[in-house]
Amino acid sequence: MGLAVERVREMGRKLAALYRFLFGDSVRAFGSLSLILLVLLAVVPAKDYFREWIRIQSQYLKLIRNRGDAATLQRRFQGGLQQVWLPRLGVVDRCTTCHVALREASMADVSLQPFRPHPVIPHSLDQFGCVFCHRGQGAATTVEEAHSSTKAWEQPLLPARYLESSCGQCHQDAPPGTPQLNRGRKLLASYGCVNCHTLLTSSGLSPGGARMKATDDPPELTHIAQKTTREWIFAWLKNPQAYAGSATMPNFELSDADARDISAFLIDQSTPLGPAVEAKPPSSPPGADDPQAGATLYGESFCASCHAAQNAAGILTGGDVGPELTRVGSKVRPEWLLAWLRDPHQLDPNTAMPHYRFNDKQLGLLASFLESKTDSDFTANVHLEAATKEQIEHGRTLVNERGCASCHQINGIKRPDNFAPELTAVGSRPLAKIVFAPGVPYDLSSYLEAKIREPHSFGTAMKMPKFTLATSQVEALVTALLAQTDRGATVPADLRVAGHPESDYQPAGSAGKLMDDLRCFSCHSINGRGGDMAPDLTSEGSSVQRSWLLDFLKNPNTLRPALIRRMPRFNLTDAEAAALTDYIMTVYQTPAFDSASLPASSFTAEDREHGRQLFYSKYACQSCHIVDPNNDKGYIGPTLTVVGVRRTAAWIFHYLKDPQALRPATLEPNQHISGEDARALTAFLMAQTKAPPQQGGKK
Amino acid sequence: MARSFQNYLGDLRESRVWQSIFRSGSGPSNLHRSQAIQQNLYLHLFSVKSRRSSLAIGVTWYLGTLSMVTFLILVATGIPLMLYYHPSVPQAYADMKDLQFAVSAGLFLRNLHRWSAHAMVLLVFAHMFRVFYRGAYRPPREFNWVIGVMLLLVTLFLSYTGYLLPWDQLAFWAITVGSNIMSAVPLLGPKIRFLTLGGNTVNANALLRFYVLHCVILPLAGGMLVGIHFWRIRKDGGLYSGKSGDESQPQVSQPHE
Repeated sequence: MGLAVERVREMGRKLAALYRFLFGDSVRAFGSLSLILLVLLAVVPAKDYFREWIRIQSQYLKLIRNRGDAATLQRRFQGGLQQVWLPRLGVVDRCTTCHVALREASMADVSLQPFRPHPVIPHSLDQFGCVFCHRGQGAATTVEEAHSSTKAWEQPLLPARYLESSCGQCHQDAPPGTPQLNRGRKLLASYGCVNCHTLLTSSGLSPGGARMKATDDPPELTHIAQKTTREWIFAWLKNPQAYAGSATMPNFELSDADARDISAFLIDQSTPLGPAVEAKPPSSPPGADDPQAGATLYGESFCASCHAAQNAAGILTGGDVGPELTRVGSKVRPEWLLAWLRDPHQLDPNTAMPHYRFNDKQLGLLASFLESKTDSDFTANVHLEAATKEQIEHGRTLVNERGCASCHQINGIKRPDNFAPELTAVGSRPLAKIVFAPGVPYDLSSYLEAKIREPHSFGTAMKMPKFTLATSQVEALVTALLAQTDRGATVPADLRVAGHPESDYQPAGSAGKLMDDLRCFSCHSINGRGGDMAPDLTSEGSSVQRSWLLDFLKNPNTLRPALIRRMPRFNLTDAEAAALTDYIMTVYQTPAFDSASLPASSFTAEDREHGRQLFYSKYACQSCHIVDPNNDKGYIGPTLTVVGVRRTAAWIFHYLKDPQALRPATLEPNQHISGEDARALTAFLMAQTKAPPQQGGKK
Repeated sequence: MARSFQNYLGDLRESRVWQSIFRSGSGPSNLHRSQAIQQNLYLHLFSVKSRRSSLAIGVTWYLGTLSMVTFLILVATGIPLMLYYHPSVPQAYADMKDLQFAVSAGLFLRNLHRWSAHAMVLLVFAHMFRVFYRGAYRPPREFNWVIGVMLLLVTLFLSYTGYLLPWDQLAFWAITVGSNIMSAVPLLGPKIRFLTLGGNTVNANALLRFYVLHCVILPLAGGMLVGIHFWRIRKDGGLYSGKSGDESQPQVSQPHE
């Protein structure tokens, strides 16, 4: 104890001596203070000299010294602070101070950052700078400040997997280089996100910014009691994905009591639709006992083009336009199913499902086939007692609270406006205004990811339901949301690339009515309206021959056997098929050429022989196409054995000269074929009119 | 060596240039010394005579002098900072970033300005506490105390107006809160707030007003008040030494004046 005190005293004495030495009298004090000040002042230029970017630039010079292209690189190197300054966009990006070799394509072999060259992109680096796409802090000249989220700059670098979102700030179209962004935007519509959240098709409130429209087509619930049972509704509400793995309906994670009350209310509000559903089912038709007949009809009608179903191995096959049918027998009432198959438009005028002209026998076959697709487990444990008044009222309250009417039409419930927060500028939402759930990294993309994946981790009071999404879907959605930035809203109009506005084209007359009845636009696109599953028909009349089209409409044969999704047979009458053919041949003509030019009679045998040589030697078309099924092996393009029956000569000629002019998305390479060669090839192809004998020779 | 330096100095004092500047001439007498003080614009603010005892650190801790030094540092760093700063909404924060990242020693300038500002507020408070607890505010120095209070206000306003200029979130909300406090003044409150901000919200007008206040009006007011403050120290009998004789016999007038 005494020793410790002694030690402290000794230390005190030494300190006092030091103080006397430094500041003992005024001269010493003046000298010492001056010295300290001098040292402090020297720190300033020293810090300036030892700045990070100066070290990095000398590192670069050392790196290129021994390269073969050193002389060029050194000549092009500019030392000192560099910046991309674009006053019009408010861009001051000093990234090029350290990323000195962004424009040096010859540095492609260097993987060391910050010296890698920039990958080739459609824009010049001086057009937008760096931060416009990559985020981060452009003004900064230190590694930490430029890349990370700091106190004075929240926006860190955008993770590479979300980079496509930046393209979406200007691009409202769907550029081929941004598949993830395009997919995300489609998902926003097809999962019905935009039913609750407001999102504009052009970022911000700029002109042309229309509300994004949902494409998920949620069913009306106003007549639901006729379609299904309360037990099914209960089980569906509890877990939609247990019924259909591909269902887009989210899981609201309802308690049993809540699901019970909502199902009670939905049955209670349902009104009868009328005689259509009450009609008696036809008496069991002959042949219904054949278990394969229904499946065959399901296949022949190409239901799988739109509807998916699990096969015996549990693998989901089929399209995603209509609902999954794996367990449809557990869902729909038989009389409703029959009415639906007979004419879906009477039950739902807005459905994408075409009106097949099934006869009573076919109806019975198909209905019994679909009814056999059941899963007894799905509603096995659901036992609901008759609903009380209180339960129905509670159900109504829940339906209002959960915003069910944002997507579904329900009797007595008004569709809420802006049920969920607006997301127009979500891509530049300040982090300070966001409440992060525990464990979520402090940046915007992580927040959006977590929010989409597990909405309830942000609090049990959150109304957002849980969607069943794959990781790639979540990332696509986050990409699309990150594209909705303030910067996108303020970008000059000439930089903005507008999307293709949805056309409201409607064909006229009785043929128009027929096309509506067959829902041609669910799969085909004409004049900018319609789906993308089947070929665009805008100039179909110019490209095919009348006789072939008439035949095809009555009995669609397979053009591309490798595809699962094919044109179904609608069982058209002769009059209907003729009317539709006439309309298509007359109206859907391209202005680019006259389809009657180049009549078959103008080709000589010499032309045909010359064309054959060109086909097999100069252009090697058999690599992708088959003309002679015994020798040709190409299967990437369609088979051409009967192309002379199908196509018009004028169309083939112009297609050969510039395939992308007629079909922008086609894989057919533009080989810049001369007019002479194209004419010879056309002559050769127009002679291909005989179906190979092993296929029976239909025509 | 020392002698020759003294010789050089003597020669310099005899020169015509020197004598045209310091007209009183040099000499060892009290008259020469007091004239040297009186005839210099800067020095004549000070007392003609100061007691050696009042210059000891323990008497004042030099708090007034240190406040003045921080003020000078603030002027010296503030003027170069003005060269890089635009008081406009889109540019102000970007200029902060330029100072931080692109201007040579810009961060040093800005930090020196900022820390000196904090130090000045602290020193001015400490100075006032020292004056108050030693009783130096009592007659005949009561007017200089009032000047001192006004200087405190100028200091605080300088600090407050400077706070908005970086135009970041901290600045914006601090001024929003501060100006809302102003509007709590009875009757005139909302008017004062409107006048200060040049509008109803903290925006471009407020930024411009605060900039002019910070760089022109308040420094000029402060400079003038400092002049009066120093001059009054002299008129009130020099630095307060705290000795009983000093208090009982206040020197109301100077024999030399």
